Amino acid sequence: MTKSDRQLAMVLDLNKCIGCHTCSIACKRLWTRDEGMEYMWWNTVNTQPGRGTPRDWQEMGGGFRDGQALPGKLPTRGEFGDAWKFNHEEVFYGGKGEKAHLKPQGKDPHWGPNWDEDQGGGEYPNAYYFYLPRICNHCTHPACLEACPRKAIEKRQQDGIVVINEDRCRGYRFCMEACPYKKIYFNHAEKVSQKCIFCFPRIEQGVANACARQCPGRVRFVGYRDDQAAPIYKLVDKWKVALPLHPDYGTEPNVFYVPPIAPPSFDENGDLDPSKPRIPDEYLVSLFGPEVLEVLEVLKAEMAKKREGAESELMDLLIAYKWKEMFGGFDRDPATIEWTGS
Amino acid sequence: MKARYVAGAQLELLLDPDAALWSSAGSEHLKLEGTPLGMQPTDAIRSSWADKKIGAVAGVDVEALHDGRHLAFRLEWSDPTENRAVDDNDRFADAAAIALPSQEGSPLVTMGAPGLAVNAWYWRADDEDPGREVVSEGLGTTRTLDPPTVKCRGSWRAGRWRVVIARELRVESAEPVAQLTPGEATGFGIAIWDGGSSERAGLKAVSGFQWEILEIGAAKKGGEQA
Repeated sequence: MTKSDRQLAMVLDLNKCIGCHTCSIACKRLWTRDEGMEYMWWNTVNTQPGRGTPRDWQEMGGGFRDGQALPGKLPTRGEFGDAWKFNHEEVFYGGKGEKAHLKPQGKDPHWGPNWDEDQGGGEYPNAYYFYLPRICNHCTHPACLEACPRKAIEKRQQDGIVVINEDRCRGYRFCMEACPYKKIYFNHAEKVSQKCIFCFPRIEQGVANACARQCPGRVRFVGYRDDQAAPIYKLVDKWKVALPLHPDYGTEPNVFYVPPIAPPSFDENGDLDPSKPRIPDEYLVSLFGPEVLEVLEVLKAEMAKKREGAESELMDLLIAYKWKEMFGGFDRDPATIEWTGS
Repeated sequence: MKARYVAGAQLELLLDPDAALWSSAGSEHLKLEGTPLGMQPTDAIRSSWADKKIGAVAGVDVEALHDGRHLAFRLEWSDPTENRAVDDNDRFADAAAIALPSQEGSPLVTMGAPGLAVNAWYWRADDEDPGREVVSEGLGTTRTLDPPTVKCRGSWRAGRWRVVIARELRVESAEPVAQLTPGEATGFGIAIWDGGSSERAGLKAVSGFQWEILEIGAAKKGGEQA
């Protein structure tokens, strides 16, 4: 296994995500507008608990157990939620504006990437949900890279970004089977696999990823793992409040999450019971591993400090008073760059 | 096996899998075997296929003809499903290839080795303009050459594929491709991928790991058939 010299990473604070999908759209407009990419969402935001995108991806296998590759399933277009074609022509230009209504054409769709997955858990008055944005995890132990028989996937030496070389890719899709996060798509026009590139052309110009920079909630931090002066290091390694999603998948993701703190539950009398969190601990443990419980304690303690008027480096970081400081030096304004190419 | 010489055949005619001249070519049946699990190049592939059969196609009828300029193979095999369209992520196309040694000593079992290339003429059912010329110098190293020199045509009817794969005997190329001469022999191997069984890459049925021998009939002067 080749290790990169440095590793870029992202931290997402789930307490701040409002599920607005600005990240998804920022990515879509920038990277997946060509033919064959219609159904691709390199960035997705799912409601948790829920079946996710692609549907039931957590049951599709892949990744590693004790270092051994596990078999995985190929997610279908329908499971991702295909790009539906609509009868725009008929509705807008067919002279039937009063009668014809917009509807997906062809077979009735059964699943959308941002509709049917919108579930949540619990029972009133203790229902709960939170949002989980996901991109490629640019893993330290990438299952996709190791599955490819053509060595078409590369982990960049300089920054650890995992990229697919489309000149070498033959569209075999072993990477899609192997990725336990199911974040790789097949382009049926180009016959190659495609996925999030961590916005490396922006990164190379000192510009943070589009999903991070466009986020209105200041959810996403970007930077090198080992930059001790920057937020990523402080959140992941110093304060240890940012955890990878499904560490049990064995790929060592480089996208980390600050777990969500739910309000307390109501008891049978309608009073708040602070001993019972609305999001069950076991559910968070199933996503982020057992460390999540300690993280919640740290977050609560630091929140309490701040509430009492004391200093908290951690809270100040997470509040992100200074937007540009979230990006570990990748804070250049993309409008100041003359971008070339199509 | 022998590639019989037919004088004056047009490439178009050779490429027609149903052309009458094929029935006179004299076919040979080759048994196919799946590539061994242990030879699959990655852990992920080996773990996914540990309990699955590799090599869905059990045998192939092979014929070969040449017109002094082109060498054409016709492969015919039984396949209950015609997998032409890759219309979903879990669909794969049927495919077939002829492997030829680019030089003496090129190993078939590993699809060549550095400096000992294997040349493959590759057909895939979903290619719009089918026919790829591929060079390989070891497992996982195949590269497709440009411009394409291999011509193919496939027809599926009633549970059987008939596929013709052809190329000029000699081609101008800086790449290590097979250069063939009438009157001489070459090794060859056959691989068939069953798309309906998700076969692709090294997951295929092959004629074996040693070269089969093909004698390329001498081109007769005066144009009569040999």
